[in-house]
Amino acid sequence: MRRASHLSLELQRIGDASVVSARGDIDLSTVAKAAEAIAAARANRGSVYLDLREVGFMDTSGLRLIIEEQQHTAAHGYGFRVFPGPPNVQRLFDIAGLAGDEGLFADPSRLPSAGGSG
Amino acid sequence: MLASIDEVTDGTVLLGETVARLLEYVVPAFADVATLDTISHEGVFRRIGSRVEGPGREELEKGLLRRRPVPEAPIGLPAALASGESQLIERMTDEHLRAIAADEADFELLRALELRSTLDVPLVARGRIVGALACGVGTSGRDYGPEDLRFAEVLSARLALALDNASLSAAVSGLELRLEATLTNLAEAVIVRDAAARIVFANPAAARLLGVASANEITEALPGSLMALYDVFDERGRRLELSDLPSAIVARGEEAGPLLVRNVVRATGQQRWLLHKATPVFDRDGSLAIVVSVIEDLTEVKRAELAQRLLAEAGHALSASLEYHQSLQRVAELAVPGLADRCQVLLHVDDEGLEQVAAAGAAPDREAPEPGEARPAATDELSVAIEAVESAEARLAGRVIAAPLALAGQPPIGAIFLAMDRSGRTFDESDLVLASELGQRAAIAVENARLYAERSEIAATLQRSLLPPELPVIPGFRLAGFYQAAGEQNEVGGDFYDAFAVRGGWMVVVGDVAGRGAEAAALTSLSRYTLRTAGKLLGDPVATLEQLNAALRQGSGLSLVSVCCALLRDVDDEAKAELVLAGHPPALHLRAGRPEPAGVFAPFLGAYERGEWTPVTIHLEPGDQLVLYTDGVIDTVGEDERFGEDRLIAALRGASGAGDAVARIEDAVRSFARGPQADDIAVIAVERLSGAG
Repeated sequence: MRRASHLSLELQRIGDASVVSARGDIDLSTVAKAAEAIAAARANRGSVYLDLREVGFMDTSGLRLIIEEQQHTAAHGYGFRVFPGPPNVQRLFDIAGLAGDEGLFADPSRLPSAGGSG
Repeated sequence: MLASIDEVTDGTVLLGETVARLLEYVVPAFADVATLDTISHEGVFRRIGSRVEGPGREELEKGLLRRRPVPEAPIGLPAALASGESQLIERMTDEHLRAIAADEADFELLRALELRSTLDVPLVARGRIVGALACGVGTSGRDYGPEDLRFAEVLSARLALALDNASLSAAVSGLELRLEATLTNLAEAVIVRDAAARIVFANPAAARLLGVASANEITEALPGSLMALYDVFDERGRRLELSDLPSAIVARGEEAGPLLVRNVVRATGQQRWLLHKATPVFDRDGSLAIVVSVIEDLTEVKRAELAQRLLAEAGHALSASLEYHQSLQRVAELAVPGLADRCQVLLHVDDEGLEQVAAAGAAPDREAPEPGEARPAATDELSVAIEAVESAEARLAGRVIAAPLALAGQPPIGAIFLAMDRSGRTFDESDLVLASELGQRAAIAVENARLYAERSEIAATLQRSLLPPELPVIPGFRLAGFYQAAGEQNEVGGDFYDAFAVRGGWMVVVGDVAGRGAEAAALTSLSRYTLRTAGKLLGDPVATLEQLNAALRQGSGLSLVSVCCALLRDVDDEAKAELVLAGHPPALHLRAGRPEPAGVFAPFLGAYERGEWTPVTIHLEPGDQLVLYTDGVIDTVGEDERFGEDRLIAALRGASGAGDAVARIEDAVRSFARGPQADDIAVIAVERLSGAG
């Protein structure tokens, strides 16, 4: 029997910023949960970071969420960035032509006490 | 005399009678004048009798009866009452009279009695002064002396007892009368049985609850004969005997808690829910004297509870499945036997009349229908159901109820039919209301199922329209395609492929719309037809994609579509494919069986106002294949992981043509997949044929 998609999310405040750490799969069945977590982070009004380091799989529904969030934050004047995930997740950004988007990705070690896996 | 008095004291005779008879014994045998007084528990003085012998007695008796002794008098009756000691006045004088007279009129009355001697004796019983006896002699010429006093004291003891008993009985019968009045007016049924289980008392409420004409019928019934009038069941439907009821259990000396029973009167089928409670009452010696049963009518409460439960369970059954035949069968089964002996659900079928689609509880003369078997309803009952449907109102006719299956304000689509056969029960108004509610809920379920089926039909039709009717025949090329929609039948897929002629060539596209359902279907439709139209008009892949991008940007919200688009051109026998990717995995170019990714990554369509999409040109030599696919292939979920690009490349290695390429992908994905997949798959393969077209 295959395992079902599973996603767990954690919201952390680091200074003014909110970090949503995702662990598991972001796909059609779990993307709504991820959207909720990002919306909650948004409500804190600081910069929002999505940590994909522990994400095993992401498909276009996750990508769509990220593109959406990117456009929303640009319109509302605060930052949204992504901590890169494993190679298969980053491949998705490649496919979407976002690999070189310097504004999208952030280095987790740059954020105080955001380094290291959960 | 004493013996006679004893006789009087033994009987349970009324007080007034007792007093009269007692005084008859005293006057004239012992006295010419006598009065008898009582003092109640509260100390209230009451003169209860007077008797005078001789002429003018009536006047004198009346006068004496009205008279009250003057409390402060030092002699005579007042003194006896005050001290508790007998008083003897051997020689009565006017001074004595004045001492006890209240006023001049009283004095004259006393003088008229011509008293020579008086005896005043307090009556003491059970340690209390219960009254006094006052005797006087004069007209007969007798005197009283000390021996008379002694006699009077003995006499008084007897009298005291007699009075006490009499007053107690009076008190008791007064009490009895009040108790009886209370019991008669109680709403609860009260039945009292003696130690031999004979019914000694029943109130009118008992008669009502048990469905008999009067309380007398209960008390006069032979033990056990009452039970024969009813069928009695506990809450679980188990039949009960008299020995199971609390009154019988208590009579056996065991403890019994309240018992809720369903009581059906055999003669009329009338059914009530009764709560039986029984309490034993013991004699002073500890033996059982009586058993008091109180029976409460909980019919309304119980009915409401059952109705609620039935509606809740029916609601559950009806919403559990869109397969409404099953749900209706479940509802029919729920209604039996709680609500009826037999239940059928009938539906209008194609304007033809009513057909039975669900049934529970076989009719006595017919076998039970198969679940889901449609059968015309029996002719004798059909008319009631038809009436209910035509009038859109529930109908009660004898032992049959028919309620329409109808949504508010709409014509009924059928009827629910309930009947009582074997159990002998009857329906009433509240059953009619319940049947109507069931009918309404059933109608909602059926309508939902029908709408759902319609929607499925619509969605399926839409889906069919989104698939290319057939892949065109392109000279010099062979096409093969494979499409697999994930999800339920009514969910239209978000993937598509298409191939169509454009100026100077053919366009082959594969696309992926994120999401499912009607919205995704609309987007799929928009994408496919925009690409077709733009492609035919512009003949250029990048320009075509830009058109779709603009169209998507015009919509509200973020609509993302990924597309892989290839323009096939055959110029001077040289086949070229101009390939553009938009948010899409690379196409695979197979040369000599070796797959190589092709295309430049670029943004999704609909993501940004402006984007840069970069074409690449691929030379297709005879035997070459170009395979376009959606990410559903590589995202396919297997036992432990996803299919992935590497597996796809491996599956295609050595493919001999378009058909083979597509077949290999289909096989590889099918054998890899575990469980239902979340994403659609669309694959289109183009093969350059050898030998010029």
